[in-house]
Amino acid sequence: MMNRRNAITQLSLLLGGTLSMPTVQAMSRLEKREIVTPINSNFSLTNEQRSLIAEVAEQIIPKTDTPGAIEAGVPAFVEMMVQDCYREPEQQSFMAGIEQLQQQNFLSKNGAEKVDMLTKLEADTKEQMKTYQVKQTKMGDNEDKEVMKAQLKGLPFWRLMKELTLLGYFTSEKGLNANFEYVPVPGKFELIKLKPGQKLYAY
Amino acid sequence: MNLNITTDKTHRYDAIVVGSGMTGGIAAKELTEKGLHVLMIERGREVKHIEDYDTATKAPWEIEHRDFITVHSAEERWANRRFGTLASDATVEFMTNDQQNPYEEKRPFDWIRAYHTGGKSMHWGRQTYRWNAPDFEANAKDGYGVDWPIRYEDLVPWYTRMEKFVGISGKAENLAVLPDSTFLPGMPMTPPEQHFRDMIDKKLNRPVTIGRVANLSKAQPWHTALGRASCQYRNKCVRGCPYGAYYSSLAGAIPAAKNTKRLDILHDSIVAEVMYDEKTKRAKGVRVINQHTNAVTEYFARIIFLNAGSMNTAALLLNSKSNRFSNGLGNESDQVGRNIMDHHLGVGANATIDGFEDDYVFGQRPNALYIPRFRNWGNDKQTAYLRGFGYQGGANRSDWKRGTAQDGFGASFKQEMTQPGKWSIGFGGFGEVLPNPNNRMTLSTTKKDKWGIPLIVFDAAFGENEIAMRKDMMNSAMEMLDAAGFKNITGNNRQDVHLGLGIHDMGTARMGKDPKTSVLNKFNQVHDCKNVFVTDGAAMASSSCVNPSLTYMALTARAAHYAVDQLNKKVL
Repeated sequence: MMNRRNAITQLSLLLGGTLSMPTVQAMSRLEKREIVTPINSNFSLTNEQRSLIAEVAEQIIPKTDTPGAIEAGVPAFVEMMVQDCYREPEQQSFMAGIEQLQQQNFLSKNGAEKVDMLTKLEADTKEQMKTYQVKQTKMGDNEDKEVMKAQLKGLPFWRLMKELTLLGYFTSEKGLNANFEYVPVPGKFELIKLKPGQKLYAY
Repeated sequence: MNLNITTDKTHRYDAIVVGSGMTGGIAAKELTEKGLHVLMIERGREVKHIEDYDTATKAPWEIEHRDFITVHSAEERWANRRFGTLASDATVEFMTNDQQNPYEEKRPFDWIRAYHTGGKSMHWGRQTYRWNAPDFEANAKDGYGVDWPIRYEDLVPWYTRMEKFVGISGKAENLAVLPDSTFLPGMPMTPPEQHFRDMIDKKLNRPVTIGRVANLSKAQPWHTALGRASCQYRNKCVRGCPYGAYYSSLAGAIPAAKNTKRLDILHDSIVAEVMYDEKTKRAKGVRVINQHTNAVTEYFARIIFLNAGSMNTAALLLNSKSNRFSNGLGNESDQVGRNIMDHHLGVGANATIDGFEDDYVFGQRPNALYIPRFRNWGNDKQTAYLRGFGYQGGANRSDWKRGTAQDGFGASFKQEMTQPGKWSIGFGGFGEVLPNPNNRMTLSTTKKDKWGIPLIVFDAAFGENEIAMRKDMMNSAMEMLDAAGFKNITGNNRQDVHLGLGIHDMGTARMGKDPKTSVLNKFNQVHDCKNVFVTDGAAMASSSCVNPSLTYMALTARAAHYAVDQLNKKVL
């Protein structure tokens, strides 16, 4: 899905983020949404909506033999990020996604129904992202930016939820330590062979 | 504005250095070590080495918004945020607040600044390369810009001196296109990178080397004497290193200068003007505005080094008007502020790599690969453009971040995200930018900052040569990834990159042989005001395609030694 973003993400992964290379780092400019919209944030959630975010996050990263999204504090992280780091288009699309799930009575469904609903949401989001992708590409090609800005909707709810859940979980103290071996000071750089069942390193 | 000027005759030094960054640090080090009493003047806040790197040792979960910044911070840093990872929650407080330090853009210019002790040397990418001999002859050969008044051989001893002091990890390759430095041990390539290197050698006969990087792979006694230690492979350099393992002005030059007990540093002090003495025909000192109190103070010295960063150094010259220099100090050629160069980037390719599934690494290498220029070099002759480019990039295994772009959720998805993904590889080009007098900055005639200093107005853009080169930069990157047998090759050539985003902005007070067409002579002296030296990027007459800091430092050390020699001979 999203070739362009994929490309950017992959390339930034390659370089570990802090390499000299402005090339790569500069690319995240697109990801960071170089879209100027007046800040007029009325973003706030009801307790029911908070429960809904928590449930969706837990569906993405459930509790298994390691903590799930809720235990790792992901729901509050997602809310903070959408509130602090995104502009109105994302905040609106995020709210639209929540409201859609509320209308579908997501919280009162059983486990299998929830999975079905989110599977469909993921498929729909893929379609939306195709359109989004086209717009992004055109913007990058310096076509009429003003028109594009006006047409540009925020990233869809599911896309935001998934990215922020993964980010919040795998960089949380509980999520990171439960799934990876945290090495704050490696002290060396070594080429090694992965052993079966070996935990990956996080830094 | 407070006009109570303090003119204290005790404010006298042998030398004043304007700026504490990459070149200001070296100027202060070399001048103090030669016995001069030096005043270094930094416009931004004081950052204490190690002590003030307040995010350096934070765990991922302790960085509130991770690699994002808040919308509020993004508004404040409207220019800085154009540069991806420098605008993260872990670094944002070190990057200049653009709302408080505005500039104007007739055409877009991505001006990335860090106003504090050490300047951008705290956040730089640390890739460190010598220029090659033909780089210094490029202007003379193709007629763009003016000829350099020096050649490679003039800088060799100074390159060596700086390399030893700074500490460069890398591998000697004996290539004319990328002259070897004095190296500390090079860092290893991963197995897919070794494969890439071997295939590119075999199929395209092009060298690929491990990046040459200013991180101490093995600290030497003169490094540890300054409190610096070997690299710990955390790759969080951009936050400041608590081990002083990568070179910065903070970790290296400033401590060395302080050891002489001949260095004073002023912070929060904006140099508004270099004062010219019409009688002696020399600069006599600088006028400084305190950024918090607006108090104005004058400082005097026998020589003045301008190391404020290329754009601010040129602005300072333009703002230093006198009867003798009505267009700005040393600007009789009208070249001050012109010929803005940078390296153009945001163009290259990436691919996925099959195999190497049991290969993994321990630690985070703060470095990647370098592919030296191969275009318009040797037998290669391009008809579409002049000069050339190099690539930087490398291979990594993907981690959980791949999950955003991947279908699925739930227990098995979670489990998969804890496992390593495929290897992928990517390269981005760094292209030489031609000097063009129409790429310039001027001072606003109508708008001033809150200290009463005219705003800088940028009016510059890439030209046809750069645009033509970029097509080849993308295509050649794709060709190399294909030659190595990699899959899913995707080229990219961002159209929204402007001059400045390479953060190698340079050229606004160029060196040259003729005072009519250049600002500085072969020792970085302002032609018509010989006790003013400009040794930051402003001095550059052309841009090469390699990262410039080492060349700036070498020019600075050379000029500093010359200045002291001239003082000793009473010429200055």
